Amino acid sequence: MTRVSSETEIRDFVRAARESRNPFEIVGGGTRRSAGRPMANEGKKLPVLDVSGVSGIVEYQPEELIVTARPGTPLAELKAALAARNQCLGFDPVDWTLFGAPGKATLGGAVSADASGPGRLRHGPARDSLLGFRAVNGFGEAFRGGAKVVKNVTGFDLPKLMCGAFGTLAVLSEVTFRVYPRPLHRTTLMLRDRNPEKGFAALRAVWKSALEPSGLAYIPAGAKFPLGDIGLGAVLVRFEAAELPLQEKIVAAKNLLGGGEELEQGDTIFTTIGEGALFNSADLDVWRLSLPPSEAARVADALGSPLWLGDWAGALLWIGAKADDAPLIRALAAEAGGHAMLLRAPAARRAELGVFPPQPRALATVTAAVKAAFDPLGLFNPGRL
Amino acid sequence: MQFAPPDPDILSRRDAIIASLKAIVPDGVIEAPSDLSAYESDALPAYRQRPLVAVLPKTAEQVSNILRYAAQAQVPIVPRGAGTSLSGGALPRADGILIGMGRMSRILEIDYENRCVTLEPGVTNAAITRAVEGEGFYYAPDPSSQIACTIGGNIAENSGGLHCLKYGLTTNNLLGVKFVLPGGEIITLGGKAPGAAGLDLLGLITGSEGLLGMVVEATVRIIRKAPVTRTMLASFDAVPDAGACVAAIIGDGIVPAAMEFMDRQTIGAVEAYNAPGYPADAEAILIIDADGVEAEVADAMVRIKTHVDACKGRLIEATGTAARAKMWQGRKAAFAAMGRLQPDMICMDGTIPRHALPRVLEDIAAMSRHYELGCCNVFHAGDGNLHPLIIFDAMKPGELDKAEAFGADILRLCVKVGGVLTGEHGVGIEKRDLMTEMFSEADLDQQHRIKCAFDTSGLFNPGKVFPTLSACVEQGHMHVRGAQLPHPNLPRF
Repeated sequence: MTRVSSETEIRDFVRAARESRNPFEIVGGGTRRSAGRPMANEGKKLPVLDVSGVSGIVEYQPEELIVTARPGTPLAELKAALAARNQCLGFDPVDWTLFGAPGKATLGGAVSADASGPGRLRHGPARDSLLGFRAVNGFGEAFRGGAKVVKNVTGFDLPKLMCGAFGTLAVLSEVTFRVYPRPLHRTTLMLRDRNPEKGFAALRAVWKSALEPSGLAYIPAGAKFPLGDIGLGAVLVRFEAAELPLQEKIVAAKNLLGGGEELEQGDTIFTTIGEGALFNSADLDVWRLSLPPSEAARVADALGSPLWLGDWAGALLWIGAKADDAPLIRALAAEAGGHAMLLRAPAARRAELGVFPPQPRALATVTAAVKAAFDPLGLFNPGRL
Repeated sequence: MQFAPPDPDILSRRDAIIASLKAIVPDGVIEAPSDLSAYESDALPAYRQRPLVAVLPKTAEQVSNILRYAAQAQVPIVPRGAGTSLSGGALPRADGILIGMGRMSRILEIDYENRCVTLEPGVTNAAITRAVEGEGFYYAPDPSSQIACTIGGNIAENSGGLHCLKYGLTTNNLLGVKFVLPGGEIITLGGKAPGAAGLDLLGLITGSEGLLGMVVEATVRIIRKAPVTRTMLASFDAVPDAGACVAAIIGDGIVPAAMEFMDRQTIGAVEAYNAPGYPADAEAILIIDADGVEAEVADAMVRIKTHVDACKGRLIEATGTAARAKMWQGRKAAFAAMGRLQPDMICMDGTIPRHALPRVLEDIAAMSRHYELGCCNVFHAGDGNLHPLIIFDAMKPGELDKAEAFGADILRLCVKVGGVLTGEHGVGIEKRDLMTEMFSEADLDQQHRIKCAFDTSGLFNPGKVFPTLSACVEQGHMHVRGAQLPHPNLPRF
């Protein structure tokens, strides 16, 4: 393992790897290493580049709604710095505790995996707020993409590509985010005893309103949350706002939903949902299904999983599944107009299935060409995506 | 701006190219020089070039076949939506096929349950909102050309508008596309489900200015209209006070739906033009929209008033729809009003960190004295997008050159204070040669390689965005002649 602490050191490491044609694994906090295809170089274990030392907040200007930090910065550290000025990251990044990995999740890892949490509903995924970055590409060149202003259309929008690329394009050395105000008051409303069809319909009713919820989740009967008896399933609706607007939104939402009880522990529940903590001790593969929200109930019913839940108004289903459910999951997601990401599974199954379903030929070709435009020798996280 | 000389081999094959295109789109090939003149320029009319031929496909399959043919025949292509680009993105080539997408203008599906609309690329921006407003929804990005510009062009340019800070640019409101690659193959990126199953190529092609391929279908997000919108105007005796007020509002966690800054020169010009009733003695004004549920807007108004007071400003609210419209009409007429002062005008489009506003305006004023040319400033204050308007008379010897040099100096200044060359108009041809001010060689090499990953032959919109060695003229503006804006029926803000 080689530990680096600056962009120059990253660049030198990449240049050496390029010389020797030695691919390597990029690790930050190490909490998401089991996501994605297992990486290898002709069966040999890969060298590791530890970038957790490329850390620290570079510049934070609350009035500009901008923060620049190095990717090894622990998420918790950055979140605390933003919270001190009543701001937050728009994609609500979460630790994926379902991997049970020790260590601290970092900003770079959250961006590279697009680990967007329940709050994505309001401000979008990582790609909607990553404004700019610096990185080292597979040519051993330090370069930048995007900028440090909130509105920019100069040149190709490279920051989009960095989000969710699982470190396969470049080694990040600095990221700049647009940040959002973090309202002081928040409330979660709950409806009990709703089956999936009624429950997701209730979530969509709020999603289609002008109330701008910051969380819309469904918890089915049998999923273990400290919510008491939820009957057929629970609908959770979260709002964040200043005090009086929050009251108005709650009243409006109760009218829309035909009631709802206010939860004390709503934020904790939403954090647990985003982390995938429901699956921490379950001996199941874990899938994230991305769907048109209107398809959520139908897909969930068809899968009949023993352990699952819905987020983002139904646009995301977390599904616990047995190994041989994989073909059905992929087929149902595709048929519904979405896709299924295999998040957690034993290495052999991840190697066999990949993270995402195979792409049509033309898309696979252009994807490979874009990868090669950054990393023609395949040095970074080989085979992971 | 010097054009690369047309390829004589392609010019000599014109008849064969026209025949091949007619075989693909029998009723949609434009070849007569008089008919082709309609496509000579977009909304950057300083640059004109008649295309070799124009073709107007009606289906995705025809687009695919045209691109397959162009790849085989090695003929450059230039895509065009409504031709409202302010950066020359749709400027034709004498040796290239212009592909006009205006006939692909059907809305294919409105899906309220999934809050999205699927449509062909020739549908206008405003038509999306018109199609869904009956149910209380709208499409958020609102470039000033929205009654004419098309969603295909919006995607190519990643268009913005007045409400970007709160509601995002095109890229934040686009869910999926069907996209034809150079060579003719059609890929699907995104859709009604969120996120990419692989690299986010949807994000990459958005704002790629027609360099990577062509959109033949798009799915966009629609938003429920906020129940309440209120409009107010704050006036200040000094520019730094207005700048401080913007910072205080944003720093307080308020995200206004719109927040527009106008300087003294602009205020004077619009008062003379359509008398919106702005305070005549102000050095700067802000026009602010707050939207949301009732209590949310009321809360924002109270806090905004506090900040305006603290920054030595005066706040008035527009009461009623008519008063709101009047308050906005001055801002929306800023371009036209400036056009009255001198026959020619160029509009810049840099973005700066908001805190740099007072310094940037001071420097621009100094440049204005240096070049002896008038300049006024409007500014999307919420997101730092600055639109200086330089006025001049191109009939006076040397004034056009001076105006262009002035414009390039402003964009260099934007980059120097940590900003960018373009916030929403695109690079196109007009800012192409300034790209090296913002990006290093390694940065540009990386972007070039992505271009090559899609378009190995370099046939897609060649000469746009990236500087070439042969081009050395400094540019960076929208040119307006005789106070006639291109698309004079469109507001520009």
